[in-house]
Amino acid sequence: MKGTLIGLAGIVLLAILFSPHAADGSRIFLQPGNLTDILRQVALIGIMALAMTYVILTAGIDLSVGSIMALATAVTAMRLTASPPGMGHVQAMVLAIGAALLVSAAAGALNGAVIAFVDVQPFIVTLASMIGIRGLAKWLTHNTNIDIGFGQDVAAHFASLFWQKAVVVGAFAVLAVIFGVALARTVFGRYVRAIGDNEKAARYTGLPIRSVKIWVYGLSGLLSGFAGVLYTAENHQGNPNAGVAYELDAIAAAVIGGARLAGGKGTIAGTIAGTLMIGVVTNMLRLNNVDSNVEMMVKAVIIVLAVAAQRQRGAE
Amino acid sequence: MKRIEYTVLAAALLAAGCGTQPGGKPSQRQYFVAFSQCNNAEPYRAAQNALLARLLGAAGDVKLVIGDAQQDNARQVAQVETFIRQKPDLLIVAPNERAALTAVMGQAVEARIPTICLERDILQPNYTTYIHSDNRAIGRLAGQFIADQLIKKYGTAKGNVVQMRGLLGVEGEINRDAGAKEVFARYPGIHIVAEPVADWIQAKAKDRMTEVLRASPSIDVLYGHNDPMAVGAYLAAKELGRDQGILFVGVDGLGGEAGGIKKVMDGVLGATFVYPLCVDKAAEIGLKILHDPQFHPEKEYTLESTMVTAANAADLFKKL
Repeated sequence: MKGTLIGLAGIVLLAILFSPHAADGSRIFLQPGNLTDILRQVALIGIMALAMTYVILTAGIDLSVGSIMALATAVTAMRLTASPPGMGHVQAMVLAIGAALLVSAAAGALNGAVIAFVDVQPFIVTLASMIGIRGLAKWLTHNTNIDIGFGQDVAAHFASLFWQKAVVVGAFAVLAVIFGVALARTVFGRYVRAIGDNEKAARYTGLPIRSVKIWVYGLSGLLSGFAGVLYTAENHQGNPNAGVAYELDAIAAAVIGGARLAGGKGTIAGTIAGTLMIGVVTNMLRLNNVDSNVEMMVKAVIIVLAVAAQRQRGAE
Repeated sequence: MKRIEYTVLAAALLAAGCGTQPGGKPSQRQYFVAFSQCNNAEPYRAAQNALLARLLGAAGDVKLVIGDAQQDNARQVAQVETFIRQKPDLLIVAPNERAALTAVMGQAVEARIPTICLERDILQPNYTTYIHSDNRAIGRLAGQFIADQLIKKYGTAKGNVVQMRGLLGVEGEINRDAGAKEVFARYPGIHIVAEPVADWIQAKAKDRMTEVLRASPSIDVLYGHNDPMAVGAYLAAKELGRDQGILFVGVDGLGGEAGGIKKVMDGVLGATFVYPLCVDKAAEIGLKILHDPQFHPEKEYTLESTMVTAANAADLFKKL
């Protein structure tokens, strides 16, 4: 956690140092618009990484978040474009968002139930649902994107509300606080940490392991669905191919933030720092027009360095 | 015990799934057409699938099966091999990459299956006919349109252009880029100020354009190598209140609600250039091959692009 914060500070300094200058001589990186761009760009991965931290704390993994997000974009856009013309905008939006969140949470809870009751490894269960849910999203939409928000209808209203930076970044912030407090201060949070730390011990002490797991994966599905709702508004489309490899970004954010894949170790603050770190690095390289292939290599080095730093601190 | 239950369940699912596969004995001659599509995930290819299904369905005596290779060479080779075993009356392949599909399409031709190579070429002419369009010509059209618009704006060919690039190394990306640059090279006043890469994806293009807008105070034209990226760039500019001063140009010009033609009608794109779906020609030639044993197709058909602007968008939208 401390290592991540130091790393984040270092990268922010680098970004300031290397920032190109605007016409008025100011550093583009430090422009408020650019800084909020970064927050908005990492918000979706960041939101998914919050619940991913819970999942990883229980010594689990959730590979299905990108697919669930895609399913949610599809459901949101389909509901919005299918809402009857007479229906009030607020009602239609509530229905669309509600449907997307419900489907996503159910998909996540199903992951959790199979993991808890059939006792299959989370990697395998969520790998299967990653494939299956992607198929479902593509099947529902016949492989096509559903564009929304270019006219004057309820979908346009929805997009203009939910694509605002303040809404996206605000939602990320509120969820971060909720997930941070819940993990640190509630009984549920303590269960989550205890299960990953030592599942056998947790079982002997009579913790409700199964229901905690269902909740944790359900929350992961729910937040992925919410990220899907925001994606739909921001990009004006329901896209069954959205979110490919997002699960890896979310896992990377948590891991850079100090979460241990073996479970029991990880914090929300660390995950947020990890998320920001990726965002700042990306922004820094892009503002300097660094080749996109080089960008991937740089990111790889950072991930390894960040995790190595965590291990060093852990060993001390 | 449990293991047996699961096995039975899996077998039942498999059986149910196979029930929807082609089969059964048709009473009259029914032609089996197999289409190996390289990647259903691209909207262009989804549109190809839909149009081909509609055109062949209208013929009444064709059973069409579409396989999705999910942008994976090995998967597509295996898929074509399986199709060859099924002895289709016509095989259509939209190759994922040239080198990987060349040999297996040769096997299809050897097995005397009429084979249409669609839209991307392969290393050897292992096909009955090759139906395609010309991305470099489209790039030149787009480049000339952009130059003309800049001349209209400033009286002389000058201005700042941003190129939003697709997946690097892909034929379409290379030629849509090269064609436009051939034209720009003739006008020293036209500068390409940024060339971010967004891998054909609208959401990525929005992020990349946001950064470009932050770094470049003056942009006249955004040339997206496909329509979704041009739309993503438009959304970024709209958010920063800079969409009015910029001309957005795309390529693909698909029909339908989510297509580029609709975006020209909506005033989002200034123009788009139709990259022909090629399947209408493939259906026409394919049906002739099926129905007329005397028919011998040309070895190659090159389809022209159409420029879509506000002037003709509504008409084209109705047609597609």
